[in-house]
Amino acid sequence: MHKIVKELIIILGIAVLIWLGIAYLDIFPRHPELISEETEEELGDKYLEAILKNPQFTQCTNKFIINSVDSICNRLESAIEDPVYNYNYVVIENSMINAFTLPGGNIVITTGLLKYCQTADELAGIVAHELGHAQERHIISRLVKELGIEIITSGDIFVLGEITKTITSSSFDRKQEEKADEYACKLLQKAKLEPRILARLFGRLKEDTQNNALKNFEIVNSHPNFSSRIKNILAFEVEDTNHVDTLKINWDEVITALGNSNEEE
Amino acid sequence: MEYHAVPQPEEIEIRERDDAMGAYFMMFATTALGLPLPIINLIASIVYYYVNKAKGRFVQFHILQSLYSQIPVTALTTGVFIWTLRNFFGGYGFNNYYWGYLIMTGFVSLIYFIFSIVAAVKSNKGRFYYFVFFGKLAYHIVFKVRDEGVVNTDPINKAPRM
Repeated sequence: MHKIVKELIIILGIAVLIWLGIAYLDIFPRHPELISEETEEELGDKYLEAILKNPQFTQCTNKFIINSVDSICNRLESAIEDPVYNYNYVVIENSMINAFTLPGGNIVITTGLLKYCQTADELAGIVAHELGHAQERHIISRLVKELGIEIITSGDIFVLGEITKTITSSSFDRKQEEKADEYACKLLQKAKLEPRILARLFGRLKEDTQNNALKNFEIVNSHPNFSSRIKNILAFEVEDTNHVDTLKINWDEVITALGNSNEEE
Repeated sequence: MEYHAVPQPEEIEIRERDDAMGAYFMMFATTALGLPLPIINLIASIVYYYVNKAKGRFVQFHILQSLYSQIPVTALTTGVFIWTLRNFFGGYGFNNYYWGYLIMTGFVSLIYFIFSIVAAVKSNKGRFYYFVFFGKLAYHIVFKVRDEGVVNTDPINKAPRM
């Protein structure tokens, strides 16, 4: 009789191990498929609208800045083999150093981040990372997981406001960040840009955070684990055939335009 | 604990072999009817057990082994069914625990399916085939020597205590 009980315990143990083991491996999607890409794009537009209604997030209208950012983004987008969305890039006037992805392929970049980047290629690195989150549908997966479909598809203005706060401030999990970094490295390489450029930017952010040199470092809160990520990015295997063709954008002029843009306000 | 002797293949009639094999094939026959809730398989197996339980220990063992092993598979699959409905209509996300549970259920069902085919083939040859845990449990229930022959000498009707 003891043997029977023993076998029962072993069977139950194996079943629980398989269950939890697969759950821990995190290899399955959080089912973003439950929301179609079209619905997601509609949602994304609503969220963007809600963000732009906030007086702290006014849309940048300086054509030179917008064109510069667009040319960086277009270079990256042309290297994407199978784009999930029609991407839309929005620059917002905010000193916060951050970039974030909204559902439906809306990528928001703050002027604070533009100023913090020392070259156009550094901004390309960040955009490539955000494109990684978008292509992998991380944002909608996170929202479905955290809030459920009913809440995120709700048209309630208060709920929309709270969701946009979540999107702009909270972080993805470690695996999603690593995946987006890996995607960024590959995309940058395809776009003939330095694939490891993010390591330089992250290194500077890490240093400035440690020295308390940053005041509006939202990007540090929403993109944690810099040390391990820098290590992974530097370990990225660059193909021998890679020829880096740096972006032909005078970044100093963009920075100057950003200064003028602020003065105009 | 005493057990009755296990019958050998030559002692088992063809009719008994067929009935034993039928216990496993019952499951396949009712699978299509039972999906996605395989409770019908389980009900059919219970009915099959009561219809055939008087046909000897060999038949009884195989039916019970099939029935007992169906219980966890049915419970797991019902769990998947309810969890999936809850996720779809309740607006809950399909988290990693769900995927883990789904894969584990699929794995258990596959193992059960393979073992059932092997057991069906063996039973048709008049052989015993023991599943882990369920085989021993069925054997214990069917072959354990019970005190059936001992007559209770205590009178049922007794005089009142004075």
